[in-house]
Amino acid sequence: MAIYCTETFRAQFAKLIKKTSYADLEEELINHFFNKDIAQLSTGTRLNNSDTTPYIKKRLAGSGGYRMYYLLLIKDGNVYLMFVHPKSGSMGYDNITDASKAALYKEVLKCIQHNELYFLRVVGDKVHFDPVK
Amino acid sequence: MNATENTPQILATFESVRRFSFEQKRQAVYSEQAVNEFLDAVLDFKAMLADKTDKINVIVTRVEAITWLQLTDNETLMLVNDLVSQLKDLRSSLVRQYLSLDFLRKKGVAKTEIKAFKASIDDLLDVAADLESRFFYLPKIEGFEETSRELSLL
Repeated sequence: MAIYCTETFRAQFAKLIKKTSYADLEEELINHFFNKDIAQLSTGTRLNNSDTTPYIKKRLAGSGGYRMYYLLLIKDGNVYLMFVHPKSGSMGYDNITDASKAALYKEVLKCIQHNELYFLRVVGDKVHFDPVK
Repeated sequence: MNATENTPQILATFESVRRFSFEQKRQAVYSEQAVNEFLDAVLDFKAMLADKTDKINVIVTRVEAITWLQLTDNETLMLVNDLVSQLKDLRSSLVRQYLSLDFLRKKGVAKTEIKAFKASIDDLLDVAADLESRFFYLPKIEGFEETSRELSLL
């Protein structure tokens, strides 16, 4: 299973892990997404009506908790991380708007179509983002 | 002032110490019992709150599972709409309970359990909003269904 992300996700992730209170996000990301199969990631809240490309919102534990938005392309076995936000702390908030959920959804399609993605890999305990293009 | 003039003050002090010492000796036995009863009550309260939190988390997981269903008929969607209303109503009741625990939270009693309880209430609101979005709002946003169609062609 390959894990990709959009620039929106990469930028948000980079901003969050700079803060001490969100330092656990990287470990949460690794633990939740790497070395997992599609079935294990097909949990959480599904935001669209597709069995083949589910758009998922997932609650991740960790102090205060995070909300992760991602798309699964079941037939290719790929994951596309779209957005993450904490629930608490200086950068935390309850939920994103429906308009934002829809915008992220349209953005990930565009990024997949144009290969404007990053490929994620883990080196030690760090996540590396390699531009696909 | 000679020694005899100070005697009443000393005697009064002696009497207050004597009385207080006697009260403390009597209380020694009862205090242990009282503390144990208090600790038991705190433990019971923590267990009750943890159990309530678990039940809320089970509800959240069950609601998440509904978002994976293909629902198109109006009758089922009306049920989902009713469920959303029920979840919001439940959340309101739980928030009132949480607020009533403020005095405990401020005293540092059952901090972990109260924090977990609050987190579960927040998750409940979250999942209710997402359930509503999933079936009633997102499909109506311009381009959302078209995006799903294009993704299915990838």
